[in-house]
Amino acid sequence: MKKILLSALLTAGLAGSLFAAAAEDSKIFTPFFDMTLTEAGYLPSEGNIFSGGNINTQVGLLTKITQKDQLFGLYNFNYAGPGFAPQDSRQFTDRSMSHGFNFEYRRFLTDRLRIRPGVALATEYRRTGANEVWKNGLYNMNSAGGQLAADYTFDEEKHGYVTAQVLFRNVAFPNYTDLLREFQNAGNTAETSGGLQDQTMTQVSLRPVWNSFFAGVTYTVQNYKNQKVVAATGVYGDSKQKDTNTTLDFGFHQKLWVFELYPTVSYAMHRSNQNFMVYKFLGDTSPQFGEKYYDFNELAFSVPLDLNVTSKWAVGGAISVTRRNYDKRKARDAANNFTGSAQTNTMSTLTGSIRKRMNDVAMVRLFYSLVVASSNNKFEQYMPYNYTGNTFGVSYQLSY
Amino acid sequence: MKRLTLILLTLLLVNSSAFAKVDWESKGMQIAGEIMANPAAFFYDFQQDLEATTPLPPGKRFGFQTSLFPTTIPMTYTNVSLKARLHGEGRIAPGVPQLDIVGGYWNMLAAKMATKDSASIDNAKFGGYYMGAIMSSSVSPRVRTFWGYKRSQLKARLDFKEGEQPEFLGTTINSFDTGFKDDFFIAGIETPKGIGKLWSIQLNYGLKTQTISSKVSWYGKIFELGLNIYPEGVLVVHPVWNFHLNF
Repeated sequence: MKKILLSALLTAGLAGSLFAAAAEDSKIFTPFFDMTLTEAGYLPSEGNIFSGGNINTQVGLLTKITQKDQLFGLYNFNYAGPGFAPQDSRQFTDRSMSHGFNFEYRRFLTDRLRIRPGVALATEYRRTGANEVWKNGLYNMNSAGGQLAADYTFDEEKHGYVTAQVLFRNVAFPNYTDLLREFQNAGNTAETSGGLQDQTMTQVSLRPVWNSFFAGVTYTVQNYKNQKVVAATGVYGDSKQKDTNTTLDFGFHQKLWVFELYPTVSYAMHRSNQNFMVYKFLGDTSPQFGEKYYDFNELAFSVPLDLNVTSKWAVGGAISVTRRNYDKRKARDAANNFTGSAQTNTMSTLTGSIRKRMNDVAMVRLFYSLVVASSNNKFEQYMPYNYTGNTFGVSYQLSY
Repeated sequence: MKRLTLILLTLLLVNSSAFAKVDWESKGMQIAGEIMANPAAFFYDFQQDLEATTPLPPGKRFGFQTSLFPTTIPMTYTNVSLKARLHGEGRIAPGVPQLDIVGGYWNMLAAKMATKDSASIDNAKFGGYYMGAIMSSSVSPRVRTFWGYKRSQLKARLDFKEGEQPEFLGTTINSFDTGFKDDFFIAGIETPKGIGKLWSIQLNYGLKTQTISSKVSWYGKIFELGLNIYPEGVLVVHPVWNFHLNF
């Protein structure tokens, strides 16, 4: 489920990039290129040292057909390697790789109003270790769909505009299988547990930008095609799973004297009609039932600050916090029993860095981060919930 | 800068209790296990270190490169790479990109020496080649983007003499015969760092094996320094030192 959320966010991020690519008046073709590379070492309090990296590459081409008509194509490659992540999202060793293609037609209806119909295709691979084959990942995903966006410029001087967008995706998980269903139907050789994550996703968003301040409200609906809701009896009922996610976010990027500040804050409300059964061991005849197991509210904020010592060098610091409160999911004790209190996860990161701008388009950053993850969930056999971690790494960015 | 150092030191002191002891023995065993599980991938990462996949500088027609570290030293990959310009940017018509062909070959000297001198190795062959084309286009006076394709192949074979086979993790190893072959998509961007010095970053993506590598390079007229990142590799970061001449 979190995988889909990430994909939705990725889509929204891509839409932002699309707007950022603007045609130069004198050119028919305007390329768009952005490559960011991060490689880091991770030292958790539980477990051994490991390394991980992130690579994001966007290659695009904007073609100006007439003064009012443009075509834009964008390829996006993203690799997310092992690393620390908020609890309940992924294991340290998980890694993913995605290819996204986005094509859109841009039409200026007036000087201030532009519409952008488009289509998008994406493939995402996921695996839990380097010894697995990418193509066999349980959560591998293919998606296809379209979107329609409209941009209205309300303040040209201060680059103020608002973007409204609706997008639709048909999402398939070709390798996904349901362990609970397989466990319950061990003798059944028919394929009854595949395609259960397949779904359609609809997303509506409204994002205003003005004078380097930005905000947004995004509403996402995920309708599962086959996945039914599990009942307290442990048997799947007739109703299909449906998830919704509403996210509000705000941020800005401002320079004041030698300070450069770009904080963001977001609040997400995730709702699902799905429940959960906890089997403590194979053959457990009295599993515990977790009602509305996936409903949560999540607050995340990040406050990065760079102090520009010279035009090339800057020292930076950042604090970021992600706190997730589940509505109904009870925290578990070390013996895997539900306790009386709802589960709460908090992950805080404190970062110090040195940044050097090579020139107008390139920069490099050395950083160190301290991560503190805490939760009232004490059952950590499969996923770490309470740990501290140290990260040291280097990041490069070239953007045109 | 001093303030930052103090902040970082404070952070390290405050969280010193958070540091778990690194289990280097366990890490070493893990790395050795990953090499044995897929030796071709391990050796191929070093091949990528020697592959010359940046475009020729504007105005140059031919290029020669040999990689010094970590290929020739310490891996004994004797290697040579060549580049040739087929078309200069804007020559045929304004806006038509520069097109270069690239290629190279390497052979592991240690494999030959091992076959000759070793009491336990009966036969050893390590080598590989690559070839491809790089298209580059200036998008501003200070920025050049490049796209390309390369085919890479590696062959590695090692036979041990009867009765001299080594044991690894309780298993007797008689021989291994492995290889790697894939077609890669290349995308990169290049920008000047100073007079006669360039800075580039590029992505290489294997279409069949989903092999990923990213190269960050600084180069002048004679030498190239780089950090090659293999996020899914055994040794993730390879510092690279290459010698090259362009005419």
